[in-house]
Amino acid sequence: MTVALVRLGLVAAVLLAWEVAGRAANPLLAVPPSATLPALRELLLLRSYPDLGASLLVTLREIATAYALAVAVGLAVGGTLGMNRLLGRAYGPMLAALYAVPAVVWYPSLMLFFGLDAASKIAFGFLLGFFPVTLAVLAGIRQVNPHLVTVAKSYGAGPLTVFGRVVLPATLFTLVGGLRTGLALSVIGVIVGEILGSKRGMGALINHAYGLLRTADYVALVLVTLALIVGTDVVAGLVERKARAWSE
Amino acid sequence: MSASPPLIAVEGVGKRYATSSGPIEALQDVSLSVGEGEFCTLIGPSGCGKSTLLGMLGGLTAPDRGRVLVEGRPVTGPDPRRVATVFQDPGLFPWRTALENVEFGLELQGVPAARRRAVATDLLGPLGLAGFAGKYPRELSGGMRQRVAIGRALAIDTKIVLMDEPFGALDEQTRLLMGEWLLEIWRRTKKTVIFVTHSLQEALVLSTRIAVMTARPGRIKSVLELGMGYPRPMESPELVALRAKLWHDIREESLRAMGGDQ
Ligand SMILES: Nc1ncnc2c1ncn2[C@@H]1O[C@H](COP(=O)(O)OP(=O)(O)OP(=O)(O)O)[C@@H](O)[C@H]1O
Ligand SMILES: [Mg+2]
Repeated sequence: MTVALVRLGLVAAVLLAWEVAGRAANPLLAVPPSATLPALRELLLLRSYPDLGASLLVTLREIATAYALAVAVGLAVGGTLGMNRLLGRAYGPMLAALYAVPAVVWYPSLMLFFGLDAASKIAFGFLLGFFPVTLAVLAGIRQVNPHLVTVAKSYGAGPLTVFGRVVLPATLFTLVGGLRTGLALSVIGVIVGEILGSKRGMGALINHAYGLLRTADYVALVLVTLALIVGTDVVAGLVERKARAWSE
Repeated sequence: MSASPPLIAVEGVGKRYATSSGPIEALQDVSLSVGEGEFCTLIGPSGCGKSTLLGMLGGLTAPDRGRVLVEGRPVTGPDPRRVATVFQDPGLFPWRTALENVEFGLELQGVPAARRRAVATDLLGPLGLAGFAGKYPRELSGGMRQRVAIGRALAIDTKIVLMDEPFGALDEQTRLLMGEWLLEIWRRTKKTVIFVTHSLQEALVLSTRIAVMTARPGRIKSVLELGMGYPRPMESPELVALRAKLWHDIREESLRAMGGDQ
């Protein structure tokens, strides 16, 4: 209860500071919350941007595709590198090094390669989500009790069975953390990709409002996008807690 | 001597491990043959290569020299249709319940869910785990865990069962009871058991044969044949005499192992 109060306190303080600063600044550039609320209402009633629902769907679909690819490829690559000593030692450190590169540097080439449409956003979301998933699988495999692998082998398990029946369940605890980070980064990838250049999706709407200096609309759109991001993370957090409780 | 080859034949086996502090000679020229239905116990000082030898029988470790035959064929890898292992560390899967752990081997063999559930459930009763089918390993005592591991090995119903100090972590009373229980299973199912223990009493009460191993590098020092039936009262003059002989051999090797004369 007190935690909630302290949290609300911070939110209220930020809103207050925003209101004061917003009123003092040029209304074309900064908008106080009192001016955002009407814009938000117009937006949600589909008056200012009637295609809000369609745009949200576009963005969500891109996120889902990017993340599904990141998980599938991440599991396969992480699994292969983790199960094969030589490949793991050769490529594991390379992956970790690449993860440290700010991924935005890849985006221009992705746009050149995949065009302005959904494909480049999906590719970027995939790229961002892929690393944490892969590295979590790798880290998880390293801490799997090797004795359990020996036991499984003695019952006739081959490499694939060992991966599915021993490594994955034993890794689940580490893996869910990586899966959640991967989702957050896939979401960021898609949205940043849209903002850097797109014709459809939330990023396109944000760019439109921003370009026309419709600052109140812009802020309202950002708030809706934030809600989307926080929403996916809350869902991911619930799933993570379930998985942790189960694998603990 | 019968004409058919022994069920298990170990012929001049040697094994050396490369470690950071130089090579370790774990086994040297070990030969042993075990016939069908025997209860053969390996006993010897810690580090003499008993687990290594079981690993070879189970197809998990390859010998450097010599060969290991099961039913006349060289062992090339794990063969869960003929050999099951109970490991020194039970190695239960923590994300599986007791019942699911017992089912593991059957699952890998593609036995339908209902069948393997029935087999596993039938095993839990005599293992004294009837009420614990749905419990996870962390919710079980050490002795229960070891019994689940034994159940997992028995579930795949192999001719040969390798048991590496299965009761090593148990208190003495539980150990005695588990021994009685194992004896009963062995006599009923006529399986061939290779058993590792550090307990003289356990070896004497259970085995048809006891192989004493030397300190590292492990060789077979002596083999004791125990012709008498079961159950065996520890006070019988026969057993007392065997115990003295066994202790004499083991003491020598344990002293050598502790002296660290290598
Ligand atoms: N994978 C390995 N790598 C290196 N050395 C090993 C390995 N496995 C066993 N050894 C060494 O080989 C020797 C024999 O080991 P093993 O586990 O077979 O002995 P043991 O007779 O089962 O001992 P204990 O009674 O303590 O279980 C030991 O000195 C051990 O340190
Ligand atoms: Mg051992």
